[in-house]
Amino acid sequence: MTTTLERKTILPPSQHEFAEVIHRLEAGGAMLPDTPENLMQIIGLYKAYAVPMDFYWRDLLYIAERVFLDPVPAFKYFLPQEYLELENHYAGDNADLRIWRGYATAHKELLEFMDKGELKAKLPKLFHHLWHDRINMEFAEECMRAMLWHRNMGGLLEPYMDSEEYKQNCDRAIKAYFQYNPIMLGLYKLFPEMFYEQCRQATMTSVLGLFWEIMAPVFFEMSDIYDEGGFKGVPDAMNFLVNGIFAIAGRPIYHRVNIRGEWYDLVPKSKGFTWLYEAAFPYVEAVFYRTAPFRGTKSYNAQAKQVPADQNDFHFGVLYADKFPVGSAGIPPTLLHQDMFHFLPPYLVEYYQKFCRGKDDMLIQLAISFQRSMYCVTSAVIQAGRAAFLYPLDDPNPEHLKANRAYFEGQLNRFCRREYGMNEAARLRFIQTQDYR
Amino acid sequence: MLSLLILIPILGATITMLVSNGTIAKRVSLLCLSVVVILTLYIAREFTITDGHFQFSETYQWINLIGLDYSLGIDGISLPLIGLNMLICWLIVFAYDANSHRARSFLALLLLANAGLTGAFASTNVLLFTIFYELELIPIYLLIAIWGSVKREYAATKFLIFTAVSGILILVGFLAVGWFAANPNPTFNYESLLHTNFPVAVQTILLLILLVGFGIKTPLVPLHTWLPDTYVESSTSTAMLLGGLLAKLGAYGLLRFCMPLFPDAWHTLAPFLALWGGLGILYGAFTAIAQKDIKRMVAYSSIGHMSYILLAIAADNPLSLVGAVSQMVSHGLILALLFYLVGIVEAKVGTREIDILNGLMNPIRGLPTTSALLILSGMASAGIPGLVGFVAEFITFQGSYTQFPVPTIMAIAGTGLTAVYFVILLNRTCFGKLDNRTAYYPKVSGVEQIPALVLTALIIWLGVQPSHLISWSEATAQVYSQYTVANAGLMPIRLDSSQIAIK
Repeated sequence: MTTTLERKTILPPSQHEFAEVIHRLEAGGAMLPDTPENLMQIIGLYKAYAVPMDFYWRDLLYIAERVFLDPVPAFKYFLPQEYLELENHYAGDNADLRIWRGYATAHKELLEFMDKGELKAKLPKLFHHLWHDRINMEFAEECMRAMLWHRNMGGLLEPYMDSEEYKQNCDRAIKAYFQYNPIMLGLYKLFPEMFYEQCRQATMTSVLGLFWEIMAPVFFEMSDIYDEGGFKGVPDAMNFLVNGIFAIAGRPIYHRVNIRGEWYDLVPKSKGFTWLYEAAFPYVEAVFYRTAPFRGTKSYNAQAKQVPADQNDFHFGVLYADKFPVGSAGIPPTLLHQDMFHFLPPYLVEYYQKFCRGKDDMLIQLAISFQRSMYCVTSAVIQAGRAAFLYPLDDPNPEHLKANRAYFEGQLNRFCRREYGMNEAARLRFIQTQDYR
Repeated sequence: MLSLLILIPILGATITMLVSNGTIAKRVSLLCLSVVVILTLYIAREFTITDGHFQFSETYQWINLIGLDYSLGIDGISLPLIGLNMLICWLIVFAYDANSHRARSFLALLLLANAGLTGAFASTNVLLFTIFYELELIPIYLLIAIWGSVKREYAATKFLIFTAVSGILILVGFLAVGWFAANPNPTFNYESLLHTNFPVAVQTILLLILLVGFGIKTPLVPLHTWLPDTYVESSTSTAMLLGGLLAKLGAYGLLRFCMPLFPDAWHTLAPFLALWGGLGILYGAFTAIAQKDIKRMVAYSSIGHMSYILLAIAADNPLSLVGAVSQMVSHGLILALLFYLVGIVEAKVGTREIDILNGLMNPIRGLPTTSALLILSGMASAGIPGLVGFVAEFITFQGSYTQFPVPTIMAIAGTGLTAVYFVILLNRTCFGKLDNRTAYYPKVSGVEQIPALVLTALIIWLGVQPSHLISWSEATAQVYSQYTVANAGLMPIRLDSSQIAIK
């Protein structure tokens, strides 16, 4: 069943390849069709994603703030209790801004999983780690690297990380961190740029941690609302995200490092960098759209021009990802799927067992649900962009509506480009039906 | 004992037709075939491997007037083929879905075909051989015509016409053989005929008649045109029967009758036969490369691989004859496996088109085990060491090279080309990425995989331990070579165990 959204008929129908999707966006909907099945899948996945995300943001902040430039960060995924108990700034009684319910410290399902893992046995942590019976931070770090690598995506943090001021901040932190390590200090003298680049990576780790610190309670809240029968359709879920984005858009983005009990600012809060522009937009662009060709079952031949010469044309993100081979190779998104697999709500497990190969290919099925849910998040970002820079959907001025349409069409054109087979790779067409599983 | 191998399947076919449903029919068929498999194993255990003559002989007078006796016997040529017959039929029944359309009839016909093939392989009277040869034609025709795919009637009729012509030529040839050997009554006893010296002209004419007759069945190029249509239009089970067993009957006829009964003519024609074999190998390989349907590709590969046997028999020395028997068994195992796997792919994916199939190796959504076994069977067919295909081809080449170097080199090139089309097949079907729009294939169950795993185990086992394959036919090959050498007045060549370097 598809809920039909009312669309104002001031403008003639769009002639775009994805006209139906354009009309849906103009009516306040998402790129994902509004069906109960889609709603169930995306919300179920948000819940399954939120639990590992609760670990990701904590560990990312731990890496950015404590591990920092450790030359042998062998235990960076072993989250100390302090960070498990770290209070989320947007959840719990002491929240800076309490929009969403939920508690501030690590989620109980996460703590249960960390205790015994998939093996359901209390074994030494190192064993669980080596067996990959854990939350796989590799995926989170891949996302961070994608954000770091795809420069010039807008925002002010990017140029700041190349500024002298940032380098001076780094210099202080580096010297303090390696105060008792003459070898590393010597190396720093010889190759300062290498150390600055490592600092930038730590900064981006912090940015992503701060981004997900917000997304985790948002997704938990959405799951709770759905369980209470709160969402009536995909547009409701998307609007919840849009509202959340605006509510939190101004959240400060910063990076600080704790060295022997003292905090060193690399990116001070006073710089005024904000969550929406420095974290959310770059994240969506880098992770949802671009990322990098995976070293998996699908190989890319750069010499045959299968890999774009311009990074802006990269199209290897979740919106384009081929989940079939990806779901079968040991590459980062697979680890994310494995993480989500542990926390699927029962209704989704039951749902997956009815289709395809049931339990055997649940990883792929959930990966495709994840893809659907990320199309919903991207829709929320597109609607947020429209709300921020353009006009309301019910604006009576046809010129304004035309501008909105041009914006929507421009966004969807990214899925229609024929260069490098982008139109073939984009899964927008696939997610329009339930047959794609 | 040998009669039981024929009678039990016939009895099973009768019971199968009388039972109420397919499930019981399958159980009865499986039971009958299990009994004959056990009997075959017992016979193999009691078989004197160093004796190259007929063993377990049974002879009953039947129609004295025309020289037709019910006489059976097995030697190192027929025993491996009877074993192959039992094994493949057992696997076919095991894999068969008892709930499928007219299951009782299918199983009954399969048992009759099994009995017919066993009878043909075990006959030591050429007329009795012809009767069994013709008898197995009926059930197989029906198996194609009723359970085949869209163009089954066309394929079955084509098969019928070709094999009927083959049967008539063989009957004419054997009648002529019997009459020429009359002393004073016609004799069709095989061992008597072996000791008969026919004039060279007579030998040549009779050899050509039988060569065409058995050449159709084998099939040899250009008598092969029935094969691709028949194999492709047949169900998986029938294709396994046709490729794995029936084609061997033609090659068996060449080896059992054409070569030893007409040694002078054979030696005269041998260079041409070897060249014919070499050209057949290349023809089969090149046409296989051009195919877009994987079942048709396997069918054409069969044409090429059966020509190895002609080359080996043409060389007519103990080593090459061992190679010929080994190639029959090896090809039977590999082709049965290939057809079975292609059948699984078709059943699960819904197509056999190379241009559509892709990414079957995908471990979660593809057919990973089937793909892996397909790769292995392709390797076996291409003669990769460690697999049975290598054993058979290597011995064939070793045996034939000294006498016919050019056709042997052509055959070796054909082996290379086999690798080419199997790489094409595997690269297009197993590798690459699954199409997100279409790749929702059902899983291959464990039971479905058992026949493929059994055949694979044998392919590996006989590849690693080739003496378990070749030792059965060594003594018989020695005896056969001596017949033809003695009859044709040539220098004997003895089979030295050191010649088989991979023993």
